[in-house]
Amino acid sequence: MSARLGRLVALSLVLLVSAPALSFAHVGSPNVIFDGKAGPYDVRVIVRVPSVVPGLAEVDVRVLHGDATSVRIQPVFWRTGASGSPSADEAKPVNGARGLYSGQLWLMARGAYSVYVTVDGPNGHGTASVPVMSVATGRLGMSAGLVATLASLGILLVAGLITIAYVAAGESVVEPGLTIPAAGRKRARLVGIIAVPVLAIILFGGAKWWQAVDESYQQRIYRPYVAKAAVVREEGKPVLRLEAVVDPLIPDHGKLMHLFLIDSARMTSFAHLHPSLVDSSVFSTVLLPLPPGSYRLYGDITFETGQTHTLVGTIRLTSDDSVAAAAAGPVDPADAWRVSDGAARRDRLEDGSTMEWLADSTPLRAGEDVTLRFRVRDPNGAPATLEPYLGMAAHAVIAKRDGSIFVHLHPAGTVSMAAQEVFALRDRGDTTPTGHLRLPDDTMTGHTMPLASEFSFPFVFPRSGAYRVWVQVRRGGRVLTGVFDVTV
Amino acid sequence: MTIAIDTLPRAAAGDRDVSTVVTEAWHARAVVFAAACVMVGVYWDISWHMTIGRDTFWTPAHLLIQAGGLIAGLSSGYVALRNTFAASEAQNAASVRFWGFRAPLGAWVCVWGCVAMLASAPFDNWWHNAYGLDVRIISPPHMILALGIVAITMGALLLTLARQNQSSGRDREHFAWLFTIAAAFWLMNVWVMLSEYSYKELMHSGLFYRVAATYYPLVLLTTARANTLKWPATKAAAIYFAVTLSLMWTLQLFPAEPKLGPIYQRVTHMVTMDFPILLFVPAFALDLVRQRWDGRLRDPWLAALLGAVFVAVFFAVEWPFASFLITSHSRNWFFNGANYVYFMSPQWVARTYHFLDTEPWSRPLAPQLAIAVAMATLSSYLGLKWGRWMTRVRR
Repeated sequence: MSARLGRLVALSLVLLVSAPALSFAHVGSPNVIFDGKAGPYDVRVIVRVPSVVPGLAEVDVRVLHGDATSVRIQPVFWRTGASGSPSADEAKPVNGARGLYSGQLWLMARGAYSVYVTVDGPNGHGTASVPVMSVATGRLGMSAGLVATLASLGILLVAGLITIAYVAAGESVVEPGLTIPAAGRKRARLVGIIAVPVLAIILFGGAKWWQAVDESYQQRIYRPYVAKAAVVREEGKPVLRLEAVVDPLIPDHGKLMHLFLIDSARMTSFAHLHPSLVDSSVFSTVLLPLPPGSYRLYGDITFETGQTHTLVGTIRLTSDDSVAAAAAGPVDPADAWRVSDGAARRDRLEDGSTMEWLADSTPLRAGEDVTLRFRVRDPNGAPATLEPYLGMAAHAVIAKRDGSIFVHLHPAGTVSMAAQEVFALRDRGDTTPTGHLRLPDDTMTGHTMPLASEFSFPFVFPRSGAYRVWVQVRRGGRVLTGVFDVTV
Repeated sequence: MTIAIDTLPRAAAGDRDVSTVVTEAWHARAVVFAAACVMVGVYWDISWHMTIGRDTFWTPAHLLIQAGGLIAGLSSGYVALRNTFAASEAQNAASVRFWGFRAPLGAWVCVWGCVAMLASAPFDNWWHNAYGLDVRIISPPHMILALGIVAITMGALLLTLARQNQSSGRDREHFAWLFTIAAAFWLMNVWVMLSEYSYKELMHSGLFYRVAATYYPLVLLTTARANTLKWPATKAAAIYFAVTLSLMWTLQLFPAEPKLGPIYQRVTHMVTMDFPILLFVPAFALDLVRQRWDGRLRDPWLAALLGAVFVAVFFAVEWPFASFLITSHSRNWFFNGANYVYFMSPQWVARTYHFLDTEPWSRPLAPQLAIAVAMATLSSYLGLKWGRWMTRVRR
């Protein structure tokens, strides 16, 4: 009721969010970052999603090119679309940061949202859609200061009530001017004493109620979909099968799932595969010839609602699997793998070309949005000509060395293009012949992008630490993977 | 003259200087006004959340609630300080001692209520941040706020009661009316807290009657027994009814739109709470029974009679009225049956045309009503006892 008063009171209190160990659509990195167009304006949008639902998302909009006169943000829920959303809020310019606007949006329901960012200025008007997921991922802890404040007030209130019971039974029923008789004093004391266990029972009931609310909340906290993984032989080929019950999916970049395998020991082995759906709950793909060992699995999928999730799992590959996979060869030309330690700045790729991380001189810091720039040169040192890889100039995977963070991103950021399409389709009110909101398989493969030898990814490192970064491009019909290490 | 009035203590000598009796008139009036501010603010705030959704500390509804809390707390705090450090002999004599300070009991209850309301604010804010912004009325921090509000209403009752009990003639009637108004706001507070059990769709389930029987007789009888007016419960219930109806009709006139989504219902004006329950009818029955039997029956028997009468009359009135409210004929501004909040899905709206059984133990109805009678009896007994104690309050 008095959210803002509490916020004022809480200004002096440090509120601690219990950091979610695992999160949705990427692991350990719930914030969403988008680089793209809002009509004629280039914008970078960062949405810091709340850890509770309903909760407040912090939205930063950086107008990269062009002068904006106003930036408005609007939360659009998948089920109701823009017409069922509250009117857009004005994002306020941030003092001292040219082109940066900031605002807050309430995400009231669980599920897929898109933050519509509308920019107005001399060049006209444009809107960008930034899909985000609204799920509860943690519960706020109580700071020592707040505990002390509430406990003091609680003790004051309880002591006050006992005293009120005491005087209500005693002095208050004595005629003014008279002193309380001994019997009345005794009765008052008795009522005061009885009030103690009565209040204790009420407080105990209140505590049990709070506990029940907390338990119910904990049960509704988002947990990633866990896939049961196994390698089986089908016609002699080693097939990786993933079992997970998921909602109806739509393809993102033309694939229902983008599966990444990263070896758990040293993170030297990496693969990007695209399993297909065998039935409603089983995905399968022919394995790539990875070295034997334990692997972490991360499978990016997009629901028809626009929700994006990362399935997680583990698998142990044997040397037999590796040998069989080498014999079988890759089935999908979009599948790719690399076994390598990370380079600091420059990595020689499988075809002799070189990928270079064009790092800024400023060190990377957690929580700040950065642009990770890369350049590919052919074996002669000339800028390489790149081809679209699954409709994108490049793909990157960023994983923290301790395995707690996994993010799959593109030059457009961490958003799912399929989710963007879903919101656009719904807002147009398109009907679909199957009754499902299913995008044509090639929708996401036809992106036309300037495929220069240089490209970049926007990102916010969620926490400091050591990270490994895999960057994938396509050149000469072959998918190439550069590997880099970085400390934030 | 009712028996209840006969049992009240006699007023002090008619020519007594009323400025020195227990409660000063300005303080009693201020605290009743505070209770009114708080409850009107609460109604407005709920309507705000049903319509606009998004709020800040500075919404007018919040300001009204906090102003009510502060008026009650500060005026009572002032009385406590003055009675402790600069009181006349009479003021000092008419106070109770509380942690070394002196003030009338009602003032202490108001101060407690003010502190409870303030304490609920940081707790409620933490609650929203920890579990998400709630759209529920009943949550632990809201209960602390509600207790604070109840305390302010209770303080208003005690202060007006003490003044009523110490006065005579028109002055006595004036404060009896103020007491009745405070009782109406207590009723309104209980109605608000029970609103999640009082939707029209629930009015054919045992749950609604059990919950109503548990709380309303307590409030009606506590305040009726201590009141010197005739038909005290009926008047309090009628005031509650009039206030909530006025708010329901007035707020609807103001344009407003949701500032939170998803929005499932097109809302152009303030959405207000359901049509109030017809509590004045069972309240009238309780007044009748008390006029006839209070003083002739011992309290446990009287409570059993009052409990049974309350449930019977309440059921006889609300059941058919609910049968009307559930139809499309109530979906107009007068009966406010179409008060769909912006976040109601179409399926939810469809459900408002049908009675619900929300729990497996809400039917069959007969045993549910029997439980309701038992609860109403207990509630009536506590109300009678509490009312009896109130008649004895002197300070």
